[in-house]
Amino acid sequence: MNNGWNIAIIVLLVLVAGVLIWLALTISKLRLPAKHLTKGTFEDQAKRDVEHIFNDEFREELRNRGRLHFEKIIGENAMFLQQDLRLTTSQVNEYIKKEITEKLQGEFTKYEQTISDAKQIAIDSITKTNTQLEQESHTLSVQLHQEFDGEKARMIKRFDEHMAEIVNYYVLSAVGNQVDLNDQLEFILKDLQENKEDIFKDINNGA
Amino acid sequence: MAPKESHQVILPSQVTTTGDLNRLIRELDTLDDYLNQAALRSAQEASKLPQTSRVLEELAASHSLQLLRPGDRKAFKAILGEIKQQAPTIHFSFASPPSLTFLNKLVTWLRTNIDTNLLLKIGLEPSIAGGCIVRTTNKQFDFSLRKHFVLQHDLLVNVLTGRKESQ
Repeated sequence: MNNGWNIAIIVLLVLVAGVLIWLALTISKLRLPAKHLTKGTFEDQAKRDVEHIFNDEFREELRNRGRLHFEKIIGENAMFLQQDLRLTTSQVNEYIKKEITEKLQGEFTKYEQTISDAKQIAIDSITKTNTQLEQESHTLSVQLHQEFDGEKARMIKRFDEHMAEIVNYYVLSAVGNQVDLNDQLEFILKDLQENKEDIFKDINNGA
Repeated sequence: MAPKESHQVILPSQVTTTGDLNRLIRELDTLDDYLNQAALRSAQEASKLPQTSRVLEELAASHSLQLLRPGDRKAFKAILGEIKQQAPTIHFSFASPPSLTFLNKLVTWLRTNIDTNLLLKIGLEPSIAGGCIVRTTNKQFDFSLRKHFVLQHDLLVNVLTGRKESQ
């Protein structure tokens, strides 16, 4: 809108300048033939009157007025132009600010989205890892329980198999040196009596 | 089953091991050597007789043998040598060294039931804990406490596991 006004004012100024130039040229053309009207014709008289009316002072006055008016118009237009320029600058600033803000907002939104995606990926990865760890832990726990149960069964079986030997060893170690040989004589003689025939045969017929 | 009486001399219960018999033979040899040497010397040079054990003297007296007579000593040495050569020997292993009383009782039983001149060899085997291991010429009889435990293995297992013996 402001640009349109500016253009219109500039066009108007150009037209006014054109009119003034045209007037100046016309007046100069009219003054030249006036020298040739000195022969007293009516037309010459009219020309002289015109030259009398539009003499140099009047022309200077017109030029001054035109110059002042032109300066005034130029000044006003400069003021308008300055205002428009300020307005345009402020609008441009606001536009730039708005654009930058929108761009930044968009970038921040993308950045937040990226961070959110990365966070989600990390959470998914951690969740997956936790799940795998729990599964591994469960599997290991089951295996350990199986190993423990197996080892326990093996130990119990081994203990069952060797229990008598263990007790024998313990008893022999514990009471072996405490049994008096004289107390054993009765049992030794009993054993000898039970094997008396074999001993007798071996001694008399062996070698 | 009567014990075999293969020799004229019956060993006393104090002579239980081959070591005892060897000691008697050494004593007799020493006495014989001394008396033979003394017979070669003059009467003034005679010194005190070597001391002999009571077992040797009793053994000689029980068979009417005079140790001062060279002929009796010779016969006695021959008898003891024959016993050493022919007497059956049984090896006994005990967990601890047996006392003399124990050995006397044991050899009395053996001479009563197996052979009148039977001799013993005594060994130690602490791992058997109790009882004894008897080795004859060709056989071994394990009368040890360890062997008894092994033989009663199932009973011990049943007792320890709380199962009845009948099961």
